[in-house]
Amino acid sequence: MSSPSQPPRSALVAKLTRPVARPLAATYRWVDERMGISDLTHQLLYEAVPRRGAWSYSLGSATLIIIVLQIVTGMFLLWTYVPSTTEAWESLNFIEHHDEFAAIVRGMHLWGAYVLLFVIGLHMIRTFVSGSYKKPRELNWIVGVILFLLVLGLGITGAMLPWDQAAYWTATVVTHVVDYIPFFGNWTQEILRGGPQMGPETLTRFFAIHIWLLPALLVPLIGLHLILLRRHGEHGSWVNYEGVESETEGERATRMAEAEYPYPAVPSDPGYAVPMDLDDFFPSQVFKDATVSFVLVLIIFVMAVVVGAPLERAANPAALNYVPTPEWFFLPLDQLLVQFPQAWMIPVGVFVLPGIGTTLLMLVPFLDRSPEREPWRRPEVMVPALFAILFLIFEALLAVNRLFNL
Amino acid sequence: MADSAQELAKKRISRRRFMIVGINAVGAGTALLIAAPIVGSVLSPLFAKRKTPWVLVADISQVPVGVPTAYVVNLPIDEGWTVPPVPRTVYVVKLNLNGSVEMLTLSNVCTHMQCDVHWDINLKQFLCPCHGGLYSITGVNIGGPPPWPLFRYEHKLVGRTLYIRNVLTGA
Repeated sequence: MSSPSQPPRSALVAKLTRPVARPLAATYRWVDERMGISDLTHQLLYEAVPRRGAWSYSLGSATLIIIVLQIVTGMFLLWTYVPSTTEAWESLNFIEHHDEFAAIVRGMHLWGAYVLLFVIGLHMIRTFVSGSYKKPRELNWIVGVILFLLVLGLGITGAMLPWDQAAYWTATVVTHVVDYIPFFGNWTQEILRGGPQMGPETLTRFFAIHIWLLPALLVPLIGLHLILLRRHGEHGSWVNYEGVESETEGERATRMAEAEYPYPAVPSDPGYAVPMDLDDFFPSQVFKDATVSFVLVLIIFVMAVVVGAPLERAANPAALNYVPTPEWFFLPLDQLLVQFPQAWMIPVGVFVLPGIGTTLLMLVPFLDRSPEREPWRRPEVMVPALFAILFLIFEALLAVNRLFNL
Repeated sequence: MADSAQELAKKRISRRRFMIVGINAVGAGTALLIAAPIVGSVLSPLFAKRKTPWVLVADISQVPVGVPTAYVVNLPIDEGWTVPPVPRTVYVVKLNLNGSVEMLTLSNVCTHMQCDVHWDINLKQFLCPCHGGLYSITGVNIGGPPPWPLFRYEHKLVGRTLYIRNVLTGA
């Protein structure tokens, strides 16, 4: 589609590129006529988004880009990795010593996971502070929490696959946690391990869960997350709704009537269906999204080249003195294992407390139902959330102190 | 005539109903056909019969009295398509109780989260480095989070030769 605002191309350039450009353009027109690519692109790119605070809205797209990076690097790790207890470690050891590029791919997969969890955390905090989960976006918050749990699952199953000491003992502890489920614990553990003890099927099962089962759940849910986002329009943060309360009814009616696609969000609290000031998704927001994603991928790349992914010695089930250090995002849970000793208390630390935490996280939109968006006017949710985050950090620090001062 | 038109409409709806119910039934049947073998294969470890042969550990006359001694034993782990000998550590504890000798064959797997415990010479206790579990010389859990005593491998003596097999019992 040519628009009148298109800059005039130099006549020389036009002349030189014509032999290539004309058949290309003709081909594009032919395909477009049949597939509607222009319409689709237009629909995807031309929507209104909130103008203020836009850099912080790039965290969601950064999450998406890093998940794509994880899928792509994961695909190519499969070119060498063998999911077998006798060869998994050998195949990765080969990568680390004889295939520098594959070692970088492996490093990017590991650091991609770390950055992904960190960015998802920021994305959740941003969404929470802005109150973006409020009517009508409650379900998208819940989908987001499920996506977060799936990514945690991908993180922990991925950590088991190298079958080095760290992987083996992580897998041992994680699969033994489920043994404390009342009544069905033993069965669950046996199903996950493929037997009563760690063995060859433990690895093949977790491999299948990591590369197929969890991604097959993750990808469609990401689609749903995006469809719901587009359905409601981006909420943005509270700065986009300053002055909503002092608006006259006439002003509000005009704002609603003049709202650009995909606004106004329905059903919404009065005044919060359209941000006060709008911008174009393309190119304003896409530019910010692309920049943030580039910086993050650059960090992942540099960490992969400089630090890489560690590979400890091959798994030794007869070890006498090996201390498995959990991945950093599981440190708070590991600390709960210490704080809830003895048979009857272990399920409290392992299931009840994390279960309550997850349930509360899911229910946030139903606990905080006022239309108020400004974080300092919602202390009843901001203060508990702050304590929850401080608690997680505190637990992680206790775990670090315990594990590294042995 | 109006009656028959109504009748016809009713019939049309019932034909529609029939197909909708049919779609659901056939769909459920299809899903069941696919799901049943998958669920069965996922659950298969629960139904597996496993062999647990006896494996030689040591000549007990070599085991010191009162000091838990670690032996690495290649226990066949009968799982899936393979029976790989997996190295496991067994602590043989020889105790002299009022003149009679008692043999314990303790697994070094912590009962809390299944990390690897070791005999700490200074503490004179088994120590788990993961979450700080402590066990006495007989494997009784005496500190930290472990909920149960260390499990024991089933053992037998043939003459002075000690054998264990991969069957664990509580203390």
